[in-house]
Amino acid sequence: MNFKHKYVFLLPGLIVLIGILIFPIIFTVRLSLSGWNSFNPGLDFIGLKNYIRLFTDDPRFWQSFFRLSFLAITTVFLQYIIGFALAHMVWKDIKFKRFFRVLFLIPMMTTPVIMTVIWRTFFHESLGPLNDFLSIFGVQPPWLSSPGLAKVSIIVVEVWQWTSFMFLLMLAGLLSLPKEPFLAAAVDGASPFKKFIYVTFPLMAPISIGAIIIRLIEASKIMDTVFVLTSGGPGTSTETSSFFIFIKGLREFQMGYAATASFTYLIIMIISLTIIVKVLTKVLMRE
Amino acid sequence: MSLLLNKISFKPTEEYHLNDISLRFDSGKMYTILGRTLSGKTTLLKTIAGLQTPDSGSINFDDTDFLSIPVWKRNVAMVYQQFINYPHLNVRDNIAFPLKQRKMDENLIESEVQEAMEKVGLIGFESRKIQELSGGQQQRVALARSLAKKAKILLLDEPLVNLDYKLREGLREEFKKLFNVSDESNSILIYASTDPLEAMQLNGDIIVIDEGKILQSGTAKDVFENPATAKVAEITNDPAMNINKCLIQDNSLIMNDSVQIQIPDQLKSIPNGKYLVGIRATDIYLDDQGFAFDLEISEISGSETFLHLRNNNLKCVATIEEVKTYNTNEVVKINFDKSKIYLFEESGELRHSPYQ
Repeated sequence: MNFKHKYVFLLPGLIVLIGILIFPIIFTVRLSLSGWNSFNPGLDFIGLKNYIRLFTDDPRFWQSFFRLSFLAITTVFLQYIIGFALAHMVWKDIKFKRFFRVLFLIPMMTTPVIMTVIWRTFFHESLGPLNDFLSIFGVQPPWLSSPGLAKVSIIVVEVWQWTSFMFLLMLAGLLSLPKEPFLAAAVDGASPFKKFIYVTFPLMAPISIGAIIIRLIEASKIMDTVFVLTSGGPGTSTETSSFFIFIKGLREFQMGYAATASFTYLIIMIISLTIIVKVLTKVLMRE
Repeated sequence: MSLLLNKISFKPTEEYHLNDISLRFDSGKMYTILGRTLSGKTTLLKTIAGLQTPDSGSINFDDTDFLSIPVWKRNVAMVYQQFINYPHLNVRDNIAFPLKQRKMDENLIESEVQEAMEKVGLIGFESRKIQELSGGQQQRVALARSLAKKAKILLLDEPLVNLDYKLREGLREEFKKLFNVSDESNSILIYASTDPLEAMQLNGDIIVIDEGKILQSGTAKDVFENPATAKVAEITNDPAMNINKCLIQDNSLIMNDSVQIQIPDQLKSIPNGKYLVGIRATDIYLDDQGFAFDLEISEISGSETFLHLRNNNLKCVATIEEVKTYNTNEVVKINFDKSKIYLFEESGELRHSPYQ
């Protein structure tokens, strides 16, 4: 191929890529080096001041980051266990298989924000149906206004909302497994439980890793649930990284500083997800 | 110890997959289930293994009711037609799988695995992944796994059919050796096959099955020499025995208007009437003074040539002990070895065998 203009044909894709991906990242980096806020809008240059502030003088960011890690890992872990269990349940020929398969998918088909509003009502301390029911036993836990229980509430809502997705991926994975190893395992003396441990689970390892990573990335962006359910409260006890960045950037208009937090967050996420994939591959695939 | 099948029937659809099967398998012996595809061989093996539950009947092994024991407790090993292994494990772990299920001592497992790998010639492939092996090697792994288990019942479901010719021949030889060795372990060996030649070579008891029904069981020699019915004669010969309608009248055997032979001495006592005549493809030879047949197809198989011949409504296949190319629609003159003629009743039962 000695065609001079062949690169021209790359342009449409390249322009889109530059426009929606590369430019925003570069602009964020540039923005993070500026002191853009509501008093002083514009791209001035203040060097690494924002980064120094973030790393030495902002425990709130790091708290929100560790809180996020805790929430993401807990919810994804629960989603994986429950989703896999449900998928395994409707994998084999059982009665009303189709009905259950659709039923388990319903949460994913609902609008997260609206469902969270409903959950907020459900959890409401004095007016919610949950506490109305629990008052029979003489307890009325402050679901959304105590730091501990507020986290539990967020985990419940997230697990409810996204287990469906995990269920869907795991069911697709189970249905794509070859049938033969299960025949062999039965004859080779594996009880149903051992068959799961030694055959189903290892065969599902690659799909499990994929599903967990997809959900971890999604769960790290957790924002709408927090926003609607607790608005990060009480205090900052349910504030996550993206919510922190949202407050800094779009509430307090510290654009430069929010960009610094965003970029730092991006780097940390890339590094930690890479490590997580490596660890999961090692643990689940024994390689 | 023996395995007793009593009136096993399995009818998942309109047709019987297994129809009233009663068999007895003794330990230390080898059995070959011979039948065409879809005759019920695999279903029968799966029923013995416990992967399928029959609709009626009972299975007893060593005086215990086998049907009430779930598959994973039955101490049965099975090798399938498809090479079934565990894709996520390497060769060694594949073979060790059934032993690990029994919570055997690690050192013991290691020595058993080594022994099984030695038997099937897989030494040096211990840590290979299954996908990196050839078909023949994959089947060796499956075989080694079933051998390592030292099960009381070993089921082999057409284990060689998906391999190429050379590997098949090689592995079959090894099978024979392996079975002779494992005879000492007193296990029951059941081998399913579609290939009569294979069944004869393995030289165990032969059980002929068709449409889910047992047609005949006996030694290889017995089934070969005295097939109980015309159907058995077709199944146990490759190419299938030529079965044609015939009429015996006034000392001649009439197959059609032009193919008529003088009745041979051993058939003189047979009364006149309608019969089925059976002639093996190998008992037909070229003869210039013989009957003229039109050649439909000729196929060369190894050192032999199969001729598919036709004379009006009379069709037969002849095996010629030489490699020769024929033109289609050529006229071939053949004759029959009259001392090897079988006669069956019209309903199919054997009337006369040359070995009687």
